[in-house]
Amino acid sequence: MVSANKKGVAVNQKSYRKPSLWHVIAQNKTLLLMCVPAIVFFFVFSYMPMPGAYIAFTNFQYNKGIWASPFVGMQNFKFLFQSGQLGLLLRNTILYNLAFIVLGNVLQLTFAILLNEVQSKRYKKVTQSMMFLPYFISDVLVSLLVYNLLNYDYGFISNLVRALGGEMPKVYQMAGAWPIIIVLVNLWKGTGYGTVVYFAAITGMDSSMLEAAQIDGANGFQRIRYIILPTLKPTVVILFLFAIGGILKGNFGLFYNLVGNNSMLFGTTDIIETYVYRSMMNSFNFSQSSAVGLFQSVVGFFIVIGANAFVKKLDSDYALF
Amino acid sequence: MKKLVALLVAMMMLTAMLPVMAMADSAIDTSEHVVITYLVTGDIPTNRTEEVLAKINEKLTEKVNAELKIRWIEWTDWTTKYNLALATQSGDIDLIGTATDWLNAWPNIQKGAFLPLSEDMLKTYAPKTWEQVPAENWELCKYNGEIYLMPEDHYAQWTNHGFMYRGDWAREAGLENGVHSWADLAVYFQYIKDNKPDVIPWDANGNGSSYGPQMAGGWQTSHTTNVYIEGIGVDLFYGVSKDDPYTLSNYYIEGDELVNFAKEMKKWADAGYWRTDVLNYTGDVAAEMEEGKTGAHQHHTQTWTGERTTMEKKQPGSDLGFFWFGEEMNNVVGLNITHGAMAVAMTSKNPERALMVYDLMRNDPEIYRLMQYGIEGDMYTIDENGYIVRPEGYEQSKDGVDLNYWWGRNDDLELRDGKKDWEAIDALYAAYDAVKINYPYGRVVFDLANVQMYLDNLSNVYNTYMPRIVFGMMDDPEAYVAEFRAQLKAAGIDICMQEIQRQLDAVYGK
Repeated sequence: MVSANKKGVAVNQKSYRKPSLWHVIAQNKTLLLMCVPAIVFFFVFSYMPMPGAYIAFTNFQYNKGIWASPFVGMQNFKFLFQSGQLGLLLRNTILYNLAFIVLGNVLQLTFAILLNEVQSKRYKKVTQSMMFLPYFISDVLVSLLVYNLLNYDYGFISNLVRALGGEMPKVYQMAGAWPIIIVLVNLWKGTGYGTVVYFAAITGMDSSMLEAAQIDGANGFQRIRYIILPTLKPTVVILFLFAIGGILKGNFGLFYNLVGNNSMLFGTTDIIETYVYRSMMNSFNFSQSSAVGLFQSVVGFFIVIGANAFVKKLDSDYALF
Repeated sequence: MKKLVALLVAMMMLTAMLPVMAMADSAIDTSEHVVITYLVTGDIPTNRTEEVLAKINEKLTEKVNAELKIRWIEWTDWTTKYNLALATQSGDIDLIGTATDWLNAWPNIQKGAFLPLSEDMLKTYAPKTWEQVPAENWELCKYNGEIYLMPEDHYAQWTNHGFMYRGDWAREAGLENGVHSWADLAVYFQYIKDNKPDVIPWDANGNGSSYGPQMAGGWQTSHTTNVYIEGIGVDLFYGVSKDDPYTLSNYYIEGDELVNFAKEMKKWADAGYWRTDVLNYTGDVAAEMEEGKTGAHQHHTQTWTGERTTMEKKQPGSDLGFFWFGEEMNNVVGLNITHGAMAVAMTSKNPERALMVYDLMRNDPEIYRLMQYGIEGDMYTIDENGYIVRPEGYEQSKDGVDLNYWWGRNDDLELRDGKKDWEAIDALYAAYDAVKINYPYGRVVFDLANVQMYLDNLSNVYNTYMPRIVFGMMDDPEAYVAEFRAQLKAAGIDICMQEIQRQLDAVYGK
């Protein structure tokens, strides 16, 4: 693992002198080489476009380009605050993301550990693939599935309930039901993917620890509780820190397809992205939409910094930087 | 050194003058073969388009030494992709299909996406188009005194919305002359509800964002004299009437008509004319109607002209009729001539040749018919009445050509499809022509930068409330409309109306 090795180098050198940058690079050249594609990717798609965020402060003119367009200061940011909806949008966006992050990680961790305990290789492979599949189903199809299950007149569940003599509620008019539905759908879609990450971390663990525990008489639960979980802690913390940076960003595809323009559900389902879409679908204002994106990124940035500082305070080994 | 600089400057001036000199010369220099890229909305066709395009390019090369390359903006996320293509152009596009109502031509002009076309340029490089478009129509294509658009003004079509309904079922319902009002429509729906248990009267797919404006505007033009003003982005702005078009209507701020609409739609919803979860339904209404599973389809006249033939084949005797919005008040506006228009990209490297190519696309009989219908004798023939006849087993999606050329169609060169029911179509067009007015706002180009923030918030309010009003999804329509109006006020409808009124006054004087 990259992090383990980097740390290893640092520890070895500390007793002599602070290693020079070149030395570190030379020592880790193979690992760094393996990182190059990722570094290039983030440089090209995340760092190079960054100056372009300036567009959020301009009245963008196509023929003048970003830099020569008239500067308008914070005007593009105003609309989000002027609407009076920001509180609701922030609440929904953050609560959904927290639910996704917390429940998602718990489920992924659980499934990864359960998978690890399964002995049959074939069963393991098949289960993993089956769990992974929903990840590839587009949100449009997911929304159709949900509609065909839940719609009042002809839905599968509605028919089932009626056949059993029950009274089907009008789910598409119940705002309260949707946080549960959306979180469930999101978990169904994402758990398989996340499980693989944790499963890889478990597979990468030093097996001698587990063997030693076994010899010392630790049972299955004790192995999980005292060996596997503590070893996974850094991975959990890192994934959590990564995820929390996007806490103001919503999954537009999922929310828009499931809810659409059904405003009876907006109270509990409206997130920043869907609101921006509804407001700007007819004006195509690149500057204003960039302003919203920048706002989300800047807030996300400070949240990551804050969370990282917090983690550092608890245990500096686990912090990102 | 000074001499060298002087020489260089002289050379530069000479080079700069070359194009001018070329223009002064009556023979246009087309010695260099160029590729003209044409930006158009639509899915990449899988029929014989490529093959026909090669033929078109042979002709274009022969005539103006240019060829056409097509850049498709596929329908998935098309609005974003289209506007991005304009924003990021770098000489990679030349001709752009645009429209002032559905493709944001004016905002794009204001943002500098298109090249201004001088009269000299048009006269020199697109002489036939220049001749064909009357002076008053060129006036409607100007922004700040310069022409930016070449309008599709020589092609009769109607894209006003309404309801397609089955004539046979309407007669069964006792509507001998068909559906001609919202009240008739209710009778028709109720008849279906009562007598055809397997049919949903109107299985609307209320999930899209277009139903709001279409239905709400439909009720409004059917019950008031209001005239729709396009190009503002939120459909809240109407003129009072054809006699007083330049005063804004207060329909969305006060009055009973909007409340009546909400009440009536709630009645329809409660009666079950559409499904309970209509707002999340995404089905294909036209296909359902063709299968006999629903009794109506809300779309525009042009769609109906084709659908009537299809329905006759799939549901023989269905006699598909069209109830058009505004029919009760004879309130219908002819299509704005810039509902389709061609523009030249700001960064085009060959604007002159682009104009020459467009002139041929629009006016050359051979090229026009290749583009619109394909290869004569192979893909179609013309019968003794002048109608186009397709060969046996012909399918547009497999055997046809699709260039989505909606920016300069020409009635002089159009061929009528012999399969369409021209008797019915001509009758409807005649009815329209008898009462229509021309689009009265063609000369005003709104500059909305100052109120954009309010318009965006209005857009949010409109798209939040209107879908529920349209499909009657509320307990108390009156209270709901009142809430909608309060929200519009809070979002700044008054400020926007003031600004739009001011700009109307500035152009049309008051």
